[in-house]
Amino acid sequence: MRTLIAFTKKEYMEQVRSRKLLVLGIIFLILGLMNPLVAKLMPKIMEGMADQLAESGLTVGEIKVTALNSWEQFFKNISTGLIAFVLLESGLFTREYQSGTLVLSLTKGLKRYKVVLAKIFVLLTLWTAFFWMTFIITYVYNDFYWDNSEASHLLFSGICWWLFGAWVISIMVLVSTVSKSGSSVLLGTGGIVFFIYLLGMIPKVEKYLEIKLTEGLKLVNGQSVVSDYVPALIITLIVSDVFFIASIFIFNKKSI
Amino acid sequence: MEVLSIDNLCKSFGDKEVLKGVTLKVPENSIFGFIGKNGAGKTTTMKHILGLMKGDEGEIKVMNEKVVYGQTATNRFIGYLPDVPEFYGFMNAREYLSFCGEITGMEKKNINERSEKLLCAVGLDKEKHRIRGYSRGMKQRLGIAQALLNSPKLLICDEPTSALDPVGRKEILDILMSVRDKTTVLFSTHILADVERICTDIAFLDEGSIKLSGKIADIKGKYRSNEYMIETEDEASRKVLLQKFDKLKEEKGQLESVLLFKETDYDIHTVLAFVAEKKLPVIKIERVEPSLENLFLEVVH
Ligand SMILES: Nc1ncnc2c1ncn2[C@@H]1O[C@H](COP(=O)(O)OP(=O)(O)OP(=O)(O)O)[C@@H](O)[C@H]1O
Ligand SMILES: [Mg+2]
Repeated sequence: MRTLIAFTKKEYMEQVRSRKLLVLGIIFLILGLMNPLVAKLMPKIMEGMADQLAESGLTVGEIKVTALNSWEQFFKNISTGLIAFVLLESGLFTREYQSGTLVLSLTKGLKRYKVVLAKIFVLLTLWTAFFWMTFIITYVYNDFYWDNSEASHLLFSGICWWLFGAWVISIMVLVSTVSKSGSSVLLGTGGIVFFIYLLGMIPKVEKYLEIKLTEGLKLVNGQSVVSDYVPALIITLIVSDVFFIASIFIFNKKSI
Repeated sequence: MEVLSIDNLCKSFGDKEVLKGVTLKVPENSIFGFIGKNGAGKTTTMKHILGLMKGDEGEIKVMNEKVVYGQTATNRFIGYLPDVPEFYGFMNAREYLSFCGEITGMEKKNINERSEKLLCAVGLDKEKHRIRGYSRGMKQRLGIAQALLNSPKLLICDEPTSALDPVGRKEILDILMSVRDKTTVLFSTHILADVERICTDIAFLDEGSIKLSGKIADIKGKYRSNEYMIETEDEASRKVLLQKFDKLKEEKGQLESVLLFKETDYDIHTVLAFVAEKKLPVIKIERVEPSLENLFLEVVH
């Protein structure tokens, strides 16, 4: 356990000193602030453009903004956050293969599974912290300007999106155990997510796919019900765990 | 007892056979010089000992325990310095050693004491900067420190002195010498002078197998010729010697003032008596020791 903690500590130290933590923190902070702000400013923007629009024959009626508009922004923008996260963290494993820094740790008797566990732990804690930070900022501002009670199943839809991110991370970890460079990790992770996205076009399978979890907006505005999401939720939970466990086994056999 | 024994280790990369049956025994408390040309397979052999590579054939034992590829338990006996050591550049030397100590499960107090001692020994105790900015030589010094941190039974160094200046080389060799009573040292090198200086045992690796190995003293004894050399200070005394002993010969590729003779031609004492009688100014008279360089060249050709 002490060795696991030591390696995890090193991972956090790297996140801090390479400024990744700072950059991601700022990105997610901006995302969180932007959601209510864009919603709040929307009528003003429309008003400003009203004259122009009127000239072209369009009349703008009174726009009523609610917390739902802000949550709509949230579910649109959080994917940007996830993409930034994957971009910045894609080299977490491969940097160590390429520089050879793992050789010394492993030849000191550090168990290989601890390397994978520590890295998974760091990725998941960072994702959790950043995701919920953005979520809470949006929530607090929404409460301040409008009323969050208009939005239903907020927590559940948040959990769904968070789990989607965790699933993407599990793909990233799995691909990392078989890749040599950060760019192939990006390519592999992006490829798999895109493939699932395409599969999601087929109506019959759509509700079983991980991508379903990103449709939190429909829950929030009452278009869907919780039970629609349960199959995808369970499947994602299982698949992510399987990926994490598979990573450990593959990593054990990897030539460093 | 053997700290390390390798039996018939074979390894090919594609159709390139690099190791063709390496057999090697490293006795306890020896300083073992592992010598071979560039590309002979020294690094490859070491990676096998550490379980970083999977051999095609053969068996390796460390402290009588079999080495397994991947999850290598025998590494707890070993300190390893790779040919190009790579550390986490965002740490400084102390932080890195403390990280190493923690992942090997050392006590906090022990880590601090050992780190301090080793950093002093390798001359990095005043260095406060992050490892990112280190020169190759500084990395090699830190490499030695991390390898010795948990007082390993076997220290494996891949060309530990190759990046060091003469002072650094001496310091590192002195460190290797000084750990000898607790730690067996196996190091690879091209620098035969280093081997002459500190090694007790050697092995020559060439064309995929060990061509010669054993105690340096034994090997030298075996290859020792019955030749003597005599070096005079000036040309005149050289002539005098040549007149008296006509079987003295000059050696090709040596200084002109050096003359050689076989024990069977002249008795050494006769020559010494003559030198004394004529009061000839000599620089040195010695029995010719086979140099490692000559041995090496002889073995690899
Ligand atoms: N991963 C690898 N894939 C293919 N060939 C390899 C690999 N590692 C080593 N080799 C080959 O094995 C041979 C031995 O390499 P090795 O690094 O063991 O030599 P060495 O004795 O350490 O040389 P040097 O003195 O230059 O360090 C070389 O010809 C090298 O090309
Ligand atoms: Mg080498």
